[in-house]
Amino acid sequence: MSENYVAPGQQRYLRACMVCSIVMTNARFREEGCPNCEEYIHLQGSQDAIDSCTSTVFDGLITLADPTKSWVAKWQRLDGYVRGVYATKVSGQLPDEVRTQLEDDHGVQYIPRDGSATEAD
Amino acid sequence: MADHYGGDSAESEDDFNPAPADNSDEASQNSSPHVSRKSDNRTSSPAADDDQDEESDEEHHPPKHATKRPRMHNDEDDAEGEEEDEEDDEGGGGNDDDDEEEDEDEDEEDEDDVQQRHRRKRPRRNNASAYFDIEAEVEDEDEAEDDEKDGEEIEDFIDNAHPDDIADSGRMDDDRRHRDLDRRRELEASLDAEKQAEIFMKRYGKRAPTRGYRDMTVVPKRLLLPSVEDPGIWAVRCKEGKEREVIFSIMRRVEERLGTKNEVPITSAFERAGPNSVMKGYIYVEARRQTDIMIALDGILNVYPRSNMILVEIKDMPDLLRVNKTPNLEPGAWVRLKRPAKHAGDLAQVLDVTENGLEARVRFIPRLDYGVRDESVTADGKRKRPPGVPGPRPPQRLFSETEARKRNPRNLNGNLQSNSWTYMGEEFEAGFQVKDIKIQLLEVTNVNPTLEEVTKFAGSEDGTENLDLKALASSLKDSSANVAYVPGDVIEVYEGEQQGVVGKAVDVRGDIVTLKVTEGNLTGQLIEVPNKGLRKLFRIGDHVKVIGGSRYRDEVGMVVKISQDRVTLLTDQLNKEITVFSKDLREASDIGGQGSLGQYSLLDLVQLDPTTVGCIVKVDRESLVVLDQNSENKTVMPSQITNKLPKRRTAVATDRNGSEIRLDDVVREHGGQQRQGKIIHIHRSFLFLHSNDIKDSAGVFVTRASNVGTIAAKGGRINAQGGGPDLSAMNPALKRNTEGGNRMAPPKSFGPDRAINQTVTIRRGGYKGLLGIVKDTTDTHARVELHTKGKIITVPKADLAFKDKITGKPIDIYSRGGRGGGFAGSGGRGGFGGGSRDRDSGGSGGGWAGGRTPMASGGGERTPAWGASGPSARTPAWSRNETSGSRTPAWGDGSRTANPYDGNRTAYGGATAYGGGSRTPAWSSGAKTPAPDGFGHGSKTPAYGGSSGDAWGSKTPAYGISAPTPAASGGDSWGYTPGPTDAPTPRAGLGAPTPGALNPPTPGAYSAPTPAAISAPTPGAWTGGWAADAAPTPAVGAPTPAASGGYYGAPTPAPYGNPAETPAGGGIQYADDD
Repeated sequence: MSENYVAPGQQRYLRACMVCSIVMTNARFREEGCPNCEEYIHLQGSQDAIDSCTSTVFDGLITLADPTKSWVAKWQRLDGYVRGVYATKVSGQLPDEVRTQLEDDHGVQYIPRDGSATEAD
Repeated sequence: MADHYGGDSAESEDDFNPAPADNSDEASQNSSPHVSRKSDNRTSSPAADDDQDEESDEEHHPPKHATKRPRMHNDEDDAEGEEEDEEDDEGGGGNDDDDEEEDEDEDEEDEDDVQQRHRRKRPRRNNASAYFDIEAEVEDEDEAEDDEKDGEEIEDFIDNAHPDDIADSGRMDDDRRHRDLDRRRELEASLDAEKQAEIFMKRYGKRAPTRGYRDMTVVPKRLLLPSVEDPGIWAVRCKEGKEREVIFSIMRRVEERLGTKNEVPITSAFERAGPNSVMKGYIYVEARRQTDIMIALDGILNVYPRSNMILVEIKDMPDLLRVNKTPNLEPGAWVRLKRPAKHAGDLAQVLDVTENGLEARVRFIPRLDYGVRDESVTADGKRKRPPGVPGPRPPQRLFSETEARKRNPRNLNGNLQSNSWTYMGEEFEAGFQVKDIKIQLLEVTNVNPTLEEVTKFAGSEDGTENLDLKALASSLKDSSANVAYVPGDVIEVYEGEQQGVVGKAVDVRGDIVTLKVTEGNLTGQLIEVPNKGLRKLFRIGDHVKVIGGSRYRDEVGMVVKISQDRVTLLTDQLNKEITVFSKDLREASDIGGQGSLGQYSLLDLVQLDPTTVGCIVKVDRESLVVLDQNSENKTVMPSQITNKLPKRRTAVATDRNGSEIRLDDVVREHGGQQRQGKIIHIHRSFLFLHSNDIKDSAGVFVTRASNVGTIAAKGGRINAQGGGPDLSAMNPALKRNTEGGNRMAPPKSFGPDRAINQTVTIRRGGYKGLLGIVKDTTDTHARVELHTKGKIITVPKADLAFKDKITGKPIDIYSRGGRGGGFAGSGGRGGFGGGSRDRDSGGSGGGWAGGRTPMASGGGERTPAWGASGPSARTPAWSRNETSGSRTPAWGDGSRTANPYDGNRTAYGGATAYGGGSRTPAWSSGAKTPAPDGFGHGSKTPAYGGSSGDAWGSKTPAYGISAPTPAASGGDSWGYTPGPTDAPTPRAGLGAPTPGALNPPTPGAYSAPTPAAISAPTPGAWTGGWAADAAPTPAVGAPTPAASGGYYGAPTPAPYGNPAETPAGGGIQYADDD
């Protein structure tokens, strides 16, 4: 049932999506893709995409139990995402082409998760 | 009415209660003023007003509907259109702006609810009617409204159509709505943007699709700030290091209980326990109630909800989630490696960073042993060392292709042109190892590369230093850890809100520096700033010292250029420009730089070997540069220095004109470069001079005393005889010749003139009668600091009367003869009296010279001087002997005394002890008398003088004089009663001083001699010992040359050897002689 649980032994394989910051194991990214942004970045089955769009460097884990009611989710702009474990900070940069594609083709405002966004505010 | 509210959402609840009241009000009074008043009372909720308006409208307009209906239908038939009209009307219609419209929407919120059915299905669009001006609008408004009502309540329009009401209510309504409109506009204007936005959010946030990004785009963070309505956040203790696990455990629990009746009642939980975080040991749980957290966390490992939780204040909540961007690694930046273990801690330079910023290509200096110590696999194929434990690591060395080829050619591939190689699976370029490393394995902050490390990178490429100080600076920037500011530093804020502020640090506490602003608008204010964005501020021309972080440490110099935080300075010592970071600098209070190395400091005079001395002209970190007496610069280690020669303030030399020169006098070379300088050291005939005009050797040069002429003597010293001391008075030879008899020169003092520091009165001249202290003297003059005026004047010594410092009684400081003041014993003194007088009358020269020379020249030259002086002053025989050249024989003949003497002498000469003795005043006196030899020894110990000196003295003199009744007086006196003895023997006086000195050692000394087996030769006699004086005496007395000769001649060496060491021995012998 608890699909988002990752045993300590597996935590070394964790990656965080650079778009929505969800944290999952590499295997799960490969099998299921990103539950929030799969339609834009197509991680499923593509290790390359996973490598470029997710990061192993992240910190500040968040268990999001109720994305709709949580202020934390709102603040982190995670409201509207699925329940799961997210990171407050994901280091790394989304490849430029992915980013432009995201913004131009899908009209999605990309929120950098590496801390550069807060500086803008 | 009830219908309207039936479908109401929570939002309209507020309005629900007021509504009926309004209605009743409206119903009863139906007065627009009343409405406006009421709305004034409720300005905070415009929606309510609308609502109420609506209601009242609905209440009162039925007739209107009826009348207007035809027209309305003409205008527009479908409900949608009507509604839009109405909407526009309500919004004031004057604006077509989206925002405005939305504002209106907000106003209509309740209305929306009321009319949900219609609204929901109809897209919002901007209607042209928005452009209608007010006049038109008024008309329309009614219509629209009516239309709307029509649309809505079409079923009961018949009811509504009460013709009688139309006119009245229509007018009234019209008026009221106008006011309403105005009021609403006012309200809108008064609402601040933020609030408006918030209201928006509230409304539209909800309508937004709940997935994806489309609606999250524009909301700025500040609008997301938490409010009281949001769940609270509690900090809950957990086991440090287990934060992530706890978060996942919570996740599991949440998911496991999802959909069951005991769902985990929290909304989220998070941790911020990064590697350098201060938030370790806590997780943060967001929930409505604290008890929810207990439920959620109960039974989860490593988290302790039962210990006290901390409720995070709302205003602090955003800080919990603050994310600081990790500075991007830039190519050229410096990092430290965490792994591979072999290179842990090594400095590396970033060459490139992958696109996603997660890996960097770095270069660093390899640690290769080329298989020399490749022992990781033992014979049986097992790894010796457990993996992960690094072995001894080879030193850092650039990759050497030749070596690799030699040792392990198979593993080497590469290209000589580009100098890039692959060796053992590692890449090397230009000597450096190049490797892609994940940024987690790099230490990016607090790198603190030292310049030494960095230069290894910079210098290696083509020998030139191409230090990228900028990259270095950026690497250093975030490592503020070791920047220490101290109160008094002038500091500039270069980052953050206070950027540009300049001030002086007044207090430093942890990371916070309190500045007193010295420039700009804030002048005089105290501000506190974190030391992160600070740097020390220097100005061109400041004199600064490098205090750390580079190989230039301890250099001192002047700032010549400043660019950002890089400061270029011109060092004092090397006149070289160096560039360092301002954080490594400090305002220098000391001049000239690193002053000392161990006990040696700049300009010290040091002994390099027995014949070489030198002046330290440069102090490096581990070595010294010394300018020796031959003008050679030598670099020496401190360990190569024999010892440091203390600065002798009293050292004196004569210049080529015979003028006395001392330290700090300014002299000029006679020939050559005519260099001029101040004397800093006088060593024998060498002068070490310092001049500010000379660039090298710290301005120090060496010359001979005989080669300089005085330019200025310190303190305007006057040389009485117009250019020099009385040389004839110094010349022993001269003295000897002129010597008129047996008289001794007055005991001339050595070392500092004893007049110095004496209290004097002036007996003559303009300052007559004034009291002062002698500060400095020459042969004839003294510089006296007057008590009265605090002024120093130069007075002839003859005009001074010396006073006792304490009692004020007149004293004669020279009266003590050659002896130093240390000559405590009064007995000695008494003895003296006579003696000294004698001397006074006698030819002084000899004694003098003797005393002197050694003084000036040092121990080495002593002994010879001795020979000369002693005899000359003393016994003609002596001198004769000397002159004759054949010593021993002469000795033997002349004075039996001589022999013992001789023994003593030679021994002495050999004994270094002498040198020491020579320095003490006692010595000098000794010089005059043979006894002094013995004495010489004694002289080292002042105590000597004190005690039984007399006894001895008696002897010696007896001796020297030979004339006196030696046997009797000598033997006796010294055996027991020194004092008396002295008295008897006329010459005792003479000896007195010297011997006096001797005696004290007496016990020791004696004993020594005794064993000396001096006795050995003449056992019987000697051993008799002292008492035996008598015995020996005769024996010696045997003074018969023969006897003595035999005695000494043969035995001399043997017996003497012993006695030689012990002065006493000598002394005794003499006694015997007597």
